[in-house]
Amino acid sequence: MRALPVADPGIPDHRSPLRFLWWLARAQAAPLAIGIGFATAWWLAQALVPAALGAAIDALTARRSGELIAWSAALLGLGGLTAVCGTLRHRYAVFNWLSAAYRTVQLTSRQATRLGATLPKRLSTGEVVSVGNSDIAHIGNSMDILLRGVGAVLAIGAVTVILLATSLPLGLMVLIGVPVMAIAVGPLLKPLHRRQHAQRDLQGDLATRAGDIVAGLRVLRGIGGEQVFAARYGEESQRTRRAGVRVASVESLLEGAQILLPGLLIALVTWQGAHFALDGRISAGQLVAFYGYAFFLIAPLRTLTEAADKLTKGHVAARRVCRILELEPEIIGGTQAVPGGPLLDAESGVLVRPGLLIGLAAADPDEAIAIADRLGHYAPGAVTLDGVPVAQLDLTEFREQVLVADNAAKLFSGTLREELDVRGEPAGLTRALHAACAEDIVEALPEGLETRVAEAGREFSGGQQQRLRLARALTADPEILILVEPTSAVDAHTEARIAERLGKARAGRSTLVCTTSPLVLDRADLVLYVEHGKVQAEGAHRELLASCARYRSIVIRED
Amino acid sequence: MARQILPVADQAQVRAYARRLTLKYPRQLAAALGLHALAAVTGLASPLLLGRLVEDVVHGTGNVNVDVMALAIAGFVAAQAVLTRFAVYASARLGERVLAELREEFVDRVLALPLSTVERAGSGDLITRTSRDVDSLSRTVRHAVPETLIALVAGFFGVGALLLVGPVTAVPSLIAVPLLWISTRWYLKRARDGYLRENAAYADMTEGLAETVEGARTVEALGLPERRRARTDTDIARSYAAERYTLGLRMVWFPSVEMGYAIPVVATVLVGGLMYIQGWVTLLQVTAATLYVQQLIDPLDRLLSWVDELQVGGASMARLLGVANVPDDRDPTGARPSGAELTATGVRYAYRDGHDVLHGIDLAVRPGERLAMVGPSGAGKSTLGRLLAGIHGPRTGAVTVGGTPLVELPLDELRGHVALVTQEHHVFRGTLRDNVLIARPDATDAEVRRALEAVDAWEWVSAMGLDTEVGSGGEAISPAHAQQLALARLVLADPHTLVLDEATSLIDPRAARHLERSLAAVLDGRTVIAIAHRLYTAHDADRVAVVEDGVISELGSHDELVAAGGAYAALWDSWHGKSQTA
Repeated sequence: MRALPVADPGIPDHRSPLRFLWWLARAQAAPLAIGIGFATAWWLAQALVPAALGAAIDALTARRSGELIAWSAALLGLGGLTAVCGTLRHRYAVFNWLSAAYRTVQLTSRQATRLGATLPKRLSTGEVVSVGNSDIAHIGNSMDILLRGVGAVLAIGAVTVILLATSLPLGLMVLIGVPVMAIAVGPLLKPLHRRQHAQRDLQGDLATRAGDIVAGLRVLRGIGGEQVFAARYGEESQRTRRAGVRVASVESLLEGAQILLPGLLIALVTWQGAHFALDGRISAGQLVAFYGYAFFLIAPLRTLTEAADKLTKGHVAARRVCRILELEPEIIGGTQAVPGGPLLDAESGVLVRPGLLIGLAAADPDEAIAIADRLGHYAPGAVTLDGVPVAQLDLTEFREQVLVADNAAKLFSGTLREELDVRGEPAGLTRALHAACAEDIVEALPEGLETRVAEAGREFSGGQQQRLRLARALTADPEILILVEPTSAVDAHTEARIAERLGKARAGRSTLVCTTSPLVLDRADLVLYVEHGKVQAEGAHRELLASCARYRSIVIRED
Repeated sequence: MARQILPVADQAQVRAYARRLTLKYPRQLAAALGLHALAAVTGLASPLLLGRLVEDVVHGTGNVNVDVMALAIAGFVAAQAVLTRFAVYASARLGERVLAELREEFVDRVLALPLSTVERAGSGDLITRTSRDVDSLSRTVRHAVPETLIALVAGFFGVGALLLVGPVTAVPSLIAVPLLWISTRWYLKRARDGYLRENAAYADMTEGLAETVEGARTVEALGLPERRRARTDTDIARSYAAERYTLGLRMVWFPSVEMGYAIPVVATVLVGGLMYIQGWVTLLQVTAATLYVQQLIDPLDRLLSWVDELQVGGASMARLLGVANVPDDRDPTGARPSGAELTATGVRYAYRDGHDVLHGIDLAVRPGERLAMVGPSGAGKSTLGRLLAGIHGPRTGAVTVGGTPLVELPLDELRGHVALVTQEHHVFRGTLRDNVLIARPDATDAEVRRALEAVDAWEWVSAMGLDTEVGSGGEAISPAHAQQLALARLVLADPHTLVLDEATSLIDPRAARHLERSLAAVLDGRTVIAIAHRLYTAHDADRVAVVEDGVISELGSHDELVAAGGAYAALWDSWHGKSQTA
């Protein structure tokens, strides 16, 4: 078996869910085929046990101990074969499961990184995250079941042939009885799935409710309301219980049917077999063997039911994966090399001049975000860099040179050093932590920068996250940095320090800070005041305070 | 970050609890077990009947009616099917009932967690317990426990039948017991940790994927695609290594167990056959015994495959029960405050021994006063806020309200006096009205409206409608709006003293000041301690306390502090655009 994951998951066929599953299967064709081989051998070894057992019984009824010993040895041999093939079958089943699941994770992850900012616009994160939570397991299951499923079909076929060869009526009985049994439980499956679905939904809701209580526990313990929440949880829990009982009611019927139907077939086969035996057409051993065959068939039949279920679910999961894989990024960029120079948004008149720290104060915070998105080429707009429309520029290079850092940016889990130092420059990181006043956060961690940050930095307070994000943006050290409200969640003391250090940290580079904090604006080389989507005034912070009443009221909020 | 992991219950507690649960519904339990037993017994008829048939065929006695025997087999099968149906149903009903009780008790325990623990322990551990442990316990109660019970019952009667058919023919099957015993012990000893690692690695992988997806824009902005791909591949490699380990265990255990199933059948037919040839046993005994041994494989297999799940369930149960082991943090003495004045004297506090973060704080807050606390992050403002809200007790010194130490008040009473609102922006699942009503479920819509108006939230709330479902699964609420809801809740709860820890930090600075002023109007007469990161909050307050390095370095009205020309004055000047040197 190869080591997983594969270096390159390849280019998937996402034209339809079936094609995707087929593509996946082909990518692991060899292990699949070997696994099917082992699964078939495993089933056949079990299917032959009744024959050997019958022969052993015949030997002992004839009081031939030599033959008895020989058939017992054959029985033991079949047991050994079952053990070896069963174990290898399992090994290949696991490998095929993992292989398909891992490849799907690789494809989804690569697609997410390829789509970038397009992804959240086109799909809800929940849809994509469900790939990781359940879809990959369903796809893995659909590969896994292929092994046992194909083997089961072959085993049923083999047993039928043996029976037909021994006795036509007995063979026909099994040949007709088996599909009838499979169809007979069919009507139970639909209500079962419906009720299971309802139960899963309620269970999901209940889990969400519990998560809600835990996440809001501070609030509840702080000002009360526990009783209300306990009562609500209790209600939902009881509803979930009733749904569970409803599922159990069908499930138990199915359980009963799965004893009754094969049981009746066994009785029928035994009845017919006993008559044949009394007539001398078959031996006593063969009678035991027939009983054994009928008994054996229960397992491959259940496997076929399972296969139908798993393949259906795999198909649904594959459809969701295809929906993600078929998306294309909205903004692709051009081929031109990225020049240095001023970045201009013609619509608002915002000009990011090289080498300056520019403050952008907007009357409406959404306007600042829209301008930042256009400048960063996340949204289409009449934006030029050194006179060249950004749409003509190579996007990867453009992203390297122009970074928009906003408060929606995510921190990733991993060691703090790795996650902050995106460009791999330790010296830059130390300077950036200082500039962002984030040194105290690192110092408070048990292992400093080497501490693993879990849950996307959720353990940090809002202000701490903001300072860490700022440090990360500064470490990236792009030619042009656009910061959106970088200090909105930090206290005035810290804000004053960050404002003082920001200019030094960005010396020689271009920086645009969208903020209304007077502490930050005061440190800017130039301030632009934007209202109604356009630059209305520009100048130094203090000049604007004196000359522009609107600016003054927005920034100082004096009334 | 002083993270404290919640306790885990010990084995004795888990066992006592499991015993209590088991015996809580004796009638239902007896009914389920009885039905399973009957089903198992009816399942034992066929081999015996087949044995009779075989004997009859061989000896040709002709005194057995084949049709009656076949009908009897069918009859027993039908009875077994019906009994199994009701047995499974009865045990599932009981299981669901116990499960519901388990999770409800757990949530009750969570809701009774001491406030200081809630404030201090990260929510991560508790979330894991609520999601993963409840899930894994559900699996155990729904599947592992009944399957094990069924297997035990079926196994018990199967062995019984085997012995009844003939004790001698039962002996050969025993040779597999050591093989099964040793290999299973070997496996179980290693399996649990292996599967825990496997699950953790798998969860890391799916969480890594979720992060890449949620942060797709950040990935693009910072040029991280390569890294995220590498991270995915590393996660997969780690998951694969963990899977290989448990697969390796099964590569040993599976064949041993399979052989353990095959050997008894062979042994019974061989030894039994030789005994028959010697004339020691009858053909019926050999045939029936062989079929019984074969039939015993199923319950044995069920038993073995659910044992480790039972272990996992037990571990989950220990974590769920452990939540109740957190000692109560309050020390009610029955003392009642004789006023509303909040006083701190000589307060020191440490999260870790020997590392005081507050170094002797003296502060008297006058009733009805608005006090703003400012200072650099890490100076101890939030800690002091929590002490003033009675969440933690000071290491030395005292925080009192009307002369009574806050930690001596029971929680319900404390809430009537002091409440704390933090940067918290959790929106509860439910309607907007529910979200405000939490503190006072009996409040009228008019009161809800007044509270929302006080925090400038009525406009958007009325546009959405009070009955709009919000929180997870409902309409999205921005963090800023969520903070408004939290404040509205507080207005409705109406304690005489409020501690606001950056409670408006997520609201746009331009709107926040307006909100604070309208809030102040509603809270007129209430004592408000506001930990603020914006200077106008301090400017609007009656007094300002500057907290630096765990002490109050400046205290006085805004004007006094500006006149004094200290650190606060310098900050204010630069905020206001005056030259710092001027």
